[in-house]
Amino acid sequence: MKISVCVGSSCHLRGSYDIINLMKENIESRHLEDKVELAAAFCLGKCTDGVSVKIDDEIVVGVNKENFDQIFKEHVLDVL
Amino acid sequence: MKNRLFADVGTLSLNKRGEQLCGDMVEIIRKENAELIVVLADGLGSGVKANILSTLTSKIISTMIAAGLSVDECVSTIAATLPVCQKRGVAYSTFTIMRFIENREVEMIQFDNPMVILLRNGKHYDYPVTSRVVEGKTIHETRLTLELNDVFIAMSDGAIYAGVGEVLNYGWQRENIITFIEERYNWTLTAKTITSLISDECNRLYAGRPGDDTTITTVQIRKRKTCNLMIGPPADKKDDAAMLSKFFSEEGKHIVCGGTSSAIAARYLGKEVIPEMDYFDPHIPPTAKIEGVDLVTEGVITISRVLEYARNYLDNNSLFEEWGYHQDGASQIARLLFQEATDVNFYAGRAINSAHQNPDLPITFSIKMRLIEELTECLKKMGKTVTIEYY
Repeated sequence: MKISVCVGSSCHLRGSYDIINLMKENIESRHLEDKVELAAAFCLGKCTDGVSVKIDDEIVVGVNKENFDQIFKEHVLDVL
Repeated sequence: MKNRLFADVGTLSLNKRGEQLCGDMVEIIRKENAELIVVLADGLGSGVKANILSTLTSKIISTMIAAGLSVDECVSTIAATLPVCQKRGVAYSTFTIMRFIENREVEMIQFDNPMVILLRNGKHYDYPVTSRVVEGKTIHETRLTLELNDVFIAMSDGAIYAGVGEVLNYGWQRENIITFIEERYNWTLTAKTITSLISDECNRLYAGRPGDDTTITTVQIRKRKTCNLMIGPPADKKDDAAMLSKFFSEEGKHIVCGGTSSAIAARYLGKEVIPEMDYFDPHIPPTAKIEGVDLVTEGVITISRVLEYARNYLDNNSLFEEWGYHQDGASQIARLLFQEATDVNFYAGRAINSAHQNPDLPITFSIKMRLIEELTECLKKMGKTVTIEYY
């Protein structure tokens, strides 16, 4: 699975830095390094609803610190 | 005749403790035919009186030299013009004149300031001096052929008295300044950075309370280098190819700022945008890589930080420790524009990013254009040749 976190201007201002760190922490603590490839993305084109995260071919928008755990479970853990 | 060299100037003054005005004055005149005139004057005493003396001296000399008049005429004009100090009964201001001609030759005329330090290939170089008396003043003259990376450091005597009675017994001498800067010199340092390194050290030796006005002015002979920076896609998509082909046809380094800009640049080059994930600075979005582009960064946030660094560079350059070494996009752009480039070409696209018109976000189209305009002003003040093309 490939996860790309948008680091464009709008998403950055909405907290890409935190989302990348949360992704790193979760992937590491759950030992998913072999299954998940984490990357950054330059603008996914969903600027008004950031932070945008592309998970394989799906773009999940509006990711923030509060809903991160739920989104990570639904879109990553449950899919794997 | 034009060669591929450029004379970069940087100057900083510390005021004597408790003084609002500096008694040292530096005048810098650039003429059309690649002639640069730098005059550093140190007026007798301190405060208002010294400020008036040094302002008159530096203005008169730089204007007269620029008009092609001889140093003898300058000196007699100053002697006839300067107001006489009532307390001391003399009219007096020291001066250092450096005149760079077509980046090939320098003429130095020095009167009573510490002698200019010349670093050639990073090492102290003893240049020939001829002395003569004009209107009772002993002046020292030098004519020299310039070499690439020559660094000329002029200073007022406040620099060599730094530390007297504070940290050092006798201040630090010209020899100590030479050793200090030889140890720190590398060719990437700009005139302003060399100036701020020495001036910071003087301030430290004075324990932050300078006993005299202290001025350092550096001129460095560099190779001309062009840097091209593209930010924002064109207002009309049809102009993409025109903007990009012009941008990439320019010689020198190429920086692309912004998500959409990097996407269209990558498409034009037939390459991919490969974003980096490392945040070297939590406030500055990560950079990316495109084969054929020297640096790819985010747009508005990164450029805002570059502008902040540019303003500080023109002021006291106290943020050099950040942008001079850090790996984030803004620091990398700052190094390319402030240190490396002598000529900067901006390619600014006027497309309006609808996502940025959100009132929640502190970035708008007008901010982007204003950032580029203000950055242009700052770079011009650094002595660089700057062009902007809008699409």
